[in-house]
Amino acid sequence: MEAGQGVPLVHFHGAGGLRLTPAHELLSSRFRVVAFEMPGFGDSPENKRTQTMPELASTMGWAINKLGIDTFNLMGTSFGGKTALWLALQSPQNVHALVLEAPAAIRQPGAASPAGTPEEIARLLYAHPERLGSIPPPDPAVRAKTQPLVQRLRGPDRDADLEARLQELPTPTLVLFGTLDRVIAPAMGRVYKDLLPSCHLVFVYDAGHAIGTDRPEAFAEVVADFLERREAFVISRTETVIHP
Amino acid sequence: MKVSFFETVRYRAPQALPSEWPVPSGIYDRDAGARAYEDMIQRLEYVEELGFDWVSVSEHHYSPRILTPSPIVSAAFIAARLKRIKIALLGPIVPQSNPVRVAEELAMLDNMAQGRLVAGLLRGTSNESLTYDLNPAEARERTDEGMELILKAWTEPQPFGWQGRHFKYRTISIWPRPLQQPHPPTFALGTSRESCEFAARHHLGCGVSYGSFESVGRATKYYREQCAQYGWQPTADHIVYRANMLLADTDEEAQDQFKKLPTQAPFSMRPAVREAMTAVDARNIAGEARPPITIGALPTAFVGGPDTVVEQVRRCKEVVGAGVLDLSLHPPGSRDVEPLMRSLELFGKKVLPRIREI
Repeated sequence: MEAGQGVPLVHFHGAGGLRLTPAHELLSSRFRVVAFEMPGFGDSPENKRTQTMPELASTMGWAINKLGIDTFNLMGTSFGGKTALWLALQSPQNVHALVLEAPAAIRQPGAASPAGTPEEIARLLYAHPERLGSIPPPDPAVRAKTQPLVQRLRGPDRDADLEARLQELPTPTLVLFGTLDRVIAPAMGRVYKDLLPSCHLVFVYDAGHAIGTDRPEAFAEVVADFLERREAFVISRTETVIHP
Repeated sequence: MKVSFFETVRYRAPQALPSEWPVPSGIYDRDAGARAYEDMIQRLEYVEELGFDWVSVSEHHYSPRILTPSPIVSAAFIAARLKRIKIALLGPIVPQSNPVRVAEELAMLDNMAQGRLVAGLLRGTSNESLTYDLNPAEARERTDEGMELILKAWTEPQPFGWQGRHFKYRTISIWPRPLQQPHPPTFALGTSRESCEFAARHHLGCGVSYGSFESVGRATKYYREQCAQYGWQPTADHIVYRANMLLADTDEEAQDQFKKLPTQAPFSMRPAVREAMTAVDARNIAGEARPPITIGALPTAFVGGPDTVVEQVRRCKEVVGAGVLDLSLHPPGSRDVEPLMRSLELFGKKVLPRIREI
């Protein structure tokens, strides 16, 4: 899925598969947003070939290259956050900046993928599911197909190999957690901050695991500002003139 | 010459600290912090005993270098524990504050401190724009408007509204009003043309800091010229100069220590942020552009044994015109308290009595 013009912003979805959110649309007003459906998710055939997250990352790197995109911003959501980190580690020269939305690369002990009835899953993903209107429930057949892949690739809660490599990753990185994330403990954010040489941690108030769905404007504003200015995004440009 | 002791709260970190600003708060040591505030009081009791006129505090955030993010809290704590010395709050960072709240808190403090408050109002250093998300491009005009609103809140006897550019209130009527009338001695702090003009227009004092005598002297000269434009003449007491002083028993010893001073500030913003900040944070000395200080160590204006320092103070009076010196008396950059206490004693006994008449 692709929309918008400008510097490419490649997005890797979470374990539930590609779901477009209002945040995609907001970001597409400033970037060429390319949201991939990764092999084995959605309507694609079951993926029995990919065995590890680094393998998935290099497949995705190949797919990006096939689109003629050389350098790009990279955003990963939850499970896709780990894919994004591996791709940045494999090709740091191609990735301008990295955005990790509630990344699942570093998890609290025993963290589980959202499961249960559609209502239970919605309560895990969103801060206030009752406010969101109708969200299409996950297709049980698709879930059955993707679960083995997700379980195979998600790796341990703490991946020592990955964490050691993150300390050498120079890419400017923005890590976002919703304050009401019920899947990955927002406290995991500090581990990225500790490990990555150039990392900014932002908590999005009153958002759950799916930040881009719960608070799309708040999410898209800080993401776009970071992608445009990277580290200098800490300098406010907000104008406070009430009357000239 | 009056003297003020710039109290920064000496936080003695038990471990090495990262060099980047902001400093992660997770490495704060509670025991070292609590001890630092108690040591501060002991030190200030000595400062008072030595005859200093003021103790000053300032607003800095997100690092242990100066452990007073809310100077009003420090000032209130000091005012309650010391009985004679004046408390100079130099000062709240106006552009990122609610000016009405600043006016209220300073008025409270002036009453609680029995009229011992001295107030300085300022824009703040470059990095402080990041602490409360202040747009640096607006900092100057928010400072000017905020300072004017603070003065108005202190002096207007009727409830009033404020239809500003950056601040808007329908009703303001502060209680208490300051004990000192019309308000505590107040300084606009900074070398900029705007700050000097504001001070002159409102009959306030002018506070300059850290530059050489010649560079801050350009600002104070401009301030005096502006005062003349507004039809009044400031006294020496209207000009305060904050500076580092490296005082030792002999010139040689002071020079030895001077050579060992670090050339970089202890905590600085990341290079990419410094660069972006320098591009948007316009500063000037009496109208002449200067870059913001984002990495270099602050200069040390006074270096030497007592005789030399007394002469330097004399020269400072001639060039800068300051009647109040606000001094950092430790070797800047050091977190040791013992050398600071030795310099304090030396200053109190060998320098202070000789500069009173300057």
